[in-house]
This record gives sequence, C-alpha cells and structure tokens, in this order.
Amino acid sequence: MMDTPTSPPLWELRDIKKSFYGTQALKGVSFTARRGEIHALLGENGSGKSTLIKCLAGVHQPDSGEMLLNGRPVTFHHPMEARAHGVATIFQEFSLVPTLTVAENIFLGRQPRRSTRLIDWDTMRVETARVLQPLEIQLDPEAIVKNLSVAEQQLVEIAKAISLESTLLIMDEPTAALGLAETERLLRLIKRLAAQGKAVVYISHRLDEVFEVADIVTVLKDGNRIATRPIHELKMGDVVKMMVGVDIEQHYPKIHHTNPTPCLEVEGLSTANGVHDVSFTINAGEVFGLGGMVGSGRTEIARALFGLDRWTAGKVRLFGREVQFKSPAEAINNGVGLIPENRKADGLFFNFEAPRNITISRLAEMLRGPFLNPMREMQAGQQYVSKLSITPTALEKSVKFLSGGNQQKVVIARWLFSQARLLILDEPTQGIDVGAKLDVYHVINELTGLGISILLISSDYPELLAMSDRVAVVRDGHILHIAEAGRLNEYELLAIASGAETGSQPPTAAG
Amino acid sequence: MNGVAKLFRSQVIGPLLALLLAVVIVSLTTNRFMTGQNLSNVMLQVSSVAIAAIGATLVILGGGIDLSSGAIVALTACVGAILIKTNGLPVWLGIALLLLLGAGLGFVNGFLSTYGRIPSFIVTLATMGVIRGLAFLITGGTPIMSVSKDLEPLFYGSFLGLPLPLIYVIVLYVLTFIFLRYTIAGRAIYAVGGNESAARLSGVRVNQTRLVTFVLAGTMSALAGVLTMARLNSGSPNYGVGTELQAIAAAVIGGASLAGGHGNIISTLFGALTVAVVQNGLNLNIVPAAWQDITLGAIIVLAVGLDMWRASISQRTSKIFDLFVPRRSPPKPASGERMQPER
Ligand SMILES: Nc1ncnc2c1ncn2[C@@H]1O[C@H](COP(=O)(O)OP(=O)(O)OP(=O)(O)O)[C@@H](O)[C@H]1O
Ligand SMILES: [Mg+2]
Repeated sequence: MMDTPTSPPLWELRDIKKSFYGTQALKGVSFTARRGEIHALLGENGSGKSTLIKCLAGVHQPDSGEMLLNGRPVTFHHPMEARAHGVATIFQEFSLVPTLTVAENIFLGRQPRRSTRLIDWDTMRVETARVLQPLEIQLDPEAIVKNLSVAEQQLVEIAKAISLESTLLIMDEPTAALGLAETERLLRLIKRLAAQGKAVVYISHRLDEVFEVADIVTVLKDGNRIATRPIHELKMGDVVKMMVGVDIEQHYPKIHHTNPTPCLEVEGLSTANGVHDVSFTINAGEVFGLGGMVGSGRTEIARALFGLDRWTAGKVRLFGREVQFKSPAEAINNGVGLIPENRKADGLFFNFEAPRNITISRLAEMLRGPFLNPMREMQAGQQYVSKLSITPTALEKSVKFLSGGNQQKVVIARWLFSQARLLILDEPTQGIDVGAKLDVYHVINELTGLGISILLISSDYPELLAMSDRVAVVRDGHILHIAEAGRLNEYELLAIASGAETGSQPPTAAG
Repeated sequence: MNGVAKLFRSQVIGPLLALLLAVVIVSLTTNRFMTGQNLSNVMLQVSSVAIAAIGATLVILGGGIDLSSGAIVALTACVGAILIKTNGLPVWLGIALLLLLGAGLGFVNGFLSTYGRIPSFIVTLATMGVIRGLAFLITGGTPIMSVSKDLEPLFYGSFLGLPLPLIYVIVLYVLTFIFLRYTIAGRAIYAVGGNESAARLSGVRVNQTRLVTFVLAGTMSALAGVLTMARLNSGSPNYGVGTELQAIAAAVIGGASLAGGHGNIISTLFGALTVAVVQNGLNLNIVPAAWQDITLGAIIVLAVGLDMWRASISQRTSKIFDLFVPRRSPPKPASGERMQPER
C-alpha cells in the first residue's frame, strides 16, 4: 500500500498561505502526506503547525495555494467535508462534549442506529470497547467525559479519530497530556496504522517521540517551511537548530539551589479525593518532583496543597507554621501558587489579554490608592511577556488567539508575578516548544535561586528527573518511594510507578 | 493605544451605531420625535431602566442573570409609599430603607444562586414572582396615590440646569465605570464571568464576587423603584412590569455576553437609550402595547444574535470607526506611486 514513486502522493499541499487579521500564520507552505508514511510536523509555538493541519482538516480555508488529493484539487468548507474525504484529525484543543459519555463522544454524529432509526446503545457500547482496546486503556464507555483526567480525555480523543474510516490521520500534539506508558502504546499504534497504509501527520514538541516514530520531518518557522527531510538524515540537534534558529547545547540546564531550611512539611495528609497518608518535606529552593502514572493521584496531591480538596487527616507546615487551607485564596495568601494541568479550562481568561491574565493573582500590587492602575498593569504585562519571550501581540489580543505554548507561558507568568514562595507546577511544559521549555527551566532555576520551592508534576520523565532535586513516586494517591533525582532513571521510575517494582529502599522523607 | 480609546474602538462603537440607527429610523417615521419636549421626555423615561440596566450588566458580566428587577421596582415603590405616606417617615429615611430592602433582596438572589447552587435564572424567576406577589399583598392590589409632596422634586427638579434624573444616571454610570475598570472587585467580576475555574485558582473569591453583583443589582433596582415612585408620586404593584427585560435588553444590545465576562457599562447606557428611543418611537406612532412587547422581544433576539456573530461584527465596526478616527499607520508607498503623474 506504500506510495510508489510514480503515483501521486495521497495529499499534496502547495504554497498554502493563511493569515488571521493581520498575522500571517502561513507564508506559502508546501507539504505532502504519503500512504504508509509518518510525517512529523515540527516548529516552535506559533510557527503555524496547527494552522496548516486545520487547512487540511477543513477548519480553515487557505487564502491561497492548492490542496491536492491523489493529484486532484479539492477545497473544504467544513470539517465534515474533510472527514468525508478520509481525513481524521485529533486537534490540539479538545473537541469532546464534556457532559456526554465516552461512547457518545466517540460516536457523536454517527451513532449506530437500529432498524427503528433509534440509537443502538448496545452496539455503541461494544464498538466503543473495541475502539479503546488497541489503546490498552481501562475506560468505562459509560463514563462522563468531564469526570475523566486530561490524559484519559486525550485518549478518548485519539480513540475517536482512530475509529473513523480514514486514509489520513492527523494528530496535533496527541501526547502532550500523556504519560510515558500511554505514549509508548500510542506510538506503537501509530506505527501499526501506518503499516496498514494510512498516511499519518504527527505534531509534537517531544523530539524523542518524533525520532522514535517518524519517517520524514518537516520543520516550520514563522509560517515558512525550513526543511523537509527523511528522519535518518537528521540528528536531534539539527532539528532543534532548524526550529529555534540557534544551537541548544543543553536540554536541561539544571542548577541545584536546595538549602536545608524546610519550606513545606507534609505529614500523613489524606483527602476525600484519593490522597492517602502522604508525607514529604520540600526544602527552600528545592524542586521536588512527583512522578507516577496518569491518574496516580499526583494532581490530587497538588489540589490538596492548594486548598481545593478538604483534608481528612494530616498536618501541613509552611515555613514551620502549621497551616490549613480551605480555599485557593488562603493558599495564595500564604504564598502558594498552582499552575493547573488543563490551561484552557482552569488557567486562562479568554476575555482578557495577557496583562490582565497575569496580574489577576496579585491585583493588590496594581493599586494606586484604591484604584487599579492600567499603566502599571501594562508595564507588568510587558515585563513578563519579554521575560518569558511571549509573543508581543499577547499584550493587545485576547489570549484566545495565542498559540498553545504562548498560552502556557502566560499562566506561568501569572505565578511569577504573584511572588509565590511555593509553586506547584502541574505539567508546566505540556505542549510548549523546546525553546519555551528551556525558558521554563531557566525560570525554575531562577525561582529556586530566590529560595522559592517547587513541586513539579511532569509526565515527561526525562524532564522530571533532570529538573528535580528529589523525586517521589506516586501510586494510588500514596507516595511509594522518594529518591535523589540523580539516583533514579526513567525505567526504574516507570517500574515503581506501574507497580512492577515497589522501590528498592523503604519510603523516606529525608533528602 | 490608550485603553479607553481602545474600548471605544472595539466595543462601544457598535451600540452607538445601534442607537444612531434607532434615532434615524424613529425620526423618519414621525416628526414629533426630534422635538425638545419629546427628547427630554425620553430622557426622563429612560432613567429607571438605565439604572436597572446597571444591575443587569453587573450580574451578566459575572455570568448570571437577574429577572427580578421589575418586581423589585414594584415592591420598593409600594413599600416606600406605605412607609412615607402611612407611617409618616421622612422621605430621606424611607429611601434609605428602600435601598437596604433592594440590597437585601439582591442578597437573597445572590445567596441562593451561589452558595445555594441554584442557577440564577431559576432563582430570580422564582423571586420575581414572590416579590411582585408581596407588592400585591401589602397594597391589597390598589395603588397608593399622592404619597408626599416632597417626592416629586426629587424627580422633576433640576441642578445646574440639568434635570435631576439625568444627573442620577450620569453619576451612577460614572461610578460603575470606575468600579468595573479601576477596582479589584470590578476586575474580579470579569474574571469570574470569563472563567470561573481559573478565577478560583487565581484566588478570586467566586461566590462572594457573584453575590456582590446581585446585591448591587438589587440596590439599583430599588433606586429605579424610588425614581418611579417619585415620578408618579405613588406606589403600585404594577410598576416595573417588563423592566427586567428592558434592562437585560439594554445590556445585551450594549454587547454584554450572556456567557459572562464580556461587556462594558458605557455600551449598556447606549443600549438603554436605544430601547427607550424605540419605545418612544412606537408610542409616538401609536402602536398598541402588545406590539411594543413584540418589538422588544425581537430586538432582544436580534441583539443576542449579533452577540453570537460579534467577533466578525466588531471587526467590521472597528473598520467603520477607522473611517472617523484613522489609525496611525504609515502611508502606503504603493498608493503614493500610483499618484505620480505619468511621464
Ligand atoms: N483563529 C486565530 N485567530 C488569530 N490568530 C490565530 C488564529 N489561529 C492561529 N493564529 C495565529 O497564527 C500563528 C500560528 O498559530 P498556530 O496555532 O498554527 O501555531 P502552532 O505552530 O500550532 O503553535 P503551538 O506549538 O503553540 O501549538 C500564531 O501567531 C497564532 O497566534
Ligand atoms: Mg498548535
């Protein structure tokens, strides 16, 4: 089923241009997708990757340029038309209906019917289970989507796309919210689909994945195509250089700043929401990592410490003083900040531009007398926008129009601005490009240098191990093992987290 | 770009155009519209609705809705009439108590819909019935006339040559503008309406913020009730019928999104004026009351429809704005070249 050199490619995009109110997102990009080939589309945040695939998926209409399917030009006015032409897409933004079940979401708009024209619920359940099976996830087809974790929602999204009859499968950052184990399963599945003759377009900021799975790589920068090359001709450094424009020497520029003053001491903390008898200490200037599988209870630990869930047992001391947070406001007033995992739903104000998104956590700082000072807010906005190299349009435009990476940086900026002394980062680099990740790492170093402590949750294990001082492995809302980050490798971490191994040493809270 | 100028460019221009359109159409249908007497009538009539619309806007910005404002107008007018006429309270004290009553009713709305977790639509639909019912109950259904000779000057008086109601409206809108734009509490309302979950995680006290919008809305409705009572020097349980719809229409025509978080108070004022002009036009053309309701309904649907297509509309209206106030952009060399005479 592989394309022969003589036959036209399945899809060919020629000189696609697209602009949004003054921003030229694509400046003439050509791109091909061949049967049986996994084509990775790479580039920094805002380089136009999502815009390009949205043209293919019928969400956007290119301003100019041609799209050829099997050599014949086509135009789409609606995503349904693209779907009818065999294009199945997993968008970067979730497109699930939160109040419906997993099964209803997967079969939305194409529910199996009985002869009476009524929905055939039994078939739908059975089919859902069949679709979920290759992803090896235990999910109840009847579960309501909004009650699932972000990772599970992502898996449903993937299952939905895969279950469509398609010749081209487009995945825009499908693994951003996934853990190592889920990612590996997904990559295996993608390879299998390609081997069956599907064309796959794969967008990811995790280059190790790209090198594992892709056949060919296209790099975009500022809406231009920099290169399209077979992957075996390239090394990771080359790709990064093409994306960012400069050499990046070190991917994880970790600086250790731990000092022995305890910042946060947690003793036997339990919540009604699945945290069981958790104990650990974070020192000032320390990055304390929480590793574990998706759904292991890391986010729940974070929620508890931020005053979102009620504590049923245990003691928490912050800088030696016993505290009890009943609301995020109390946690924030005590110098705790949280960057939530799901930035769209829990992080961003789409009715605000970047400055007001940033200053919201510490508005009191913007007061002159009893009144907010918009000039001061703009200055604070400018300061953090340049500090985190967020696109300057963020100062004027709603954050709705920013690329995923820029959006994440806006949320990070909010907590930098809030001067938190303990910062909980739940998947802070999810969906952001190498350059932006480096910015985040530098920011982490800068923060710890100031004595700020960080609780880092990341499903990117290399990142977690490199950027943490110590790592705790969590399973079922319980800490199984705490170790110096340098003493643990990815596979040991995975083994403990998945329950294959319970840790070579007894759990200890000591650093 | 200056913040207030930007606000005008992007948000105020649409409602302003709607108002101008209404003025043009109405003055085309009747020559009695553009008379000084009529215009000052419109100004007086609009004051109650304009003040209730402040409350409607605050609640809508926070992501809620308040259907009880018309009923509060009726109850405050009736209670006021009883307090001042029957119990002989001084006018100022009566009014102060009425404002407290409005705030209290707003508190009930807000408390039930935030801490009680009942959608505000349902809560205020219920309290709307209860409150108007109370107004009927305490008056026995008959209006209380000639409340006090001290009341009418509060409405018909003037200050520095301006009618008092106009001054009330201007002062309240300026205060609300400052509140929404320059205070932490005002910003919190936008944050809660924009993304409740993000607001909570940013330390905004969500329930408290929403409660404030309802309390302020109740107070505004009470003020509208006081004005109505002063204008007619009476209290009747039938006052304020439809005020809630007109107030919400004003907010929505002003571009407030019913999803919360979008809208501004200046646009609401233009929205309220639009509603008043349309009603006045219908009155002058002696259109039956039933048709007036139908027209208002149609306008609300139109305004909400426009709200849905707002993104593209604000693009276009801001282009129209550019016609009047051009953006400072470098002159295009291309057109300059074309201007060159041929050699
Ligand atoms: N609907 C839109 N309206 C306005 N601007 C947009 C819109 N969609 C994208 N853009 C702009 O187009 C540019 C390209 O965005 P795009 O989402 O394609 O980037 P991306 O490469 O997918 O980035 P990321 O890695 O962060 O997802 C950005 O500058 C973005 O702000
Ligand atoms: Mg993207």
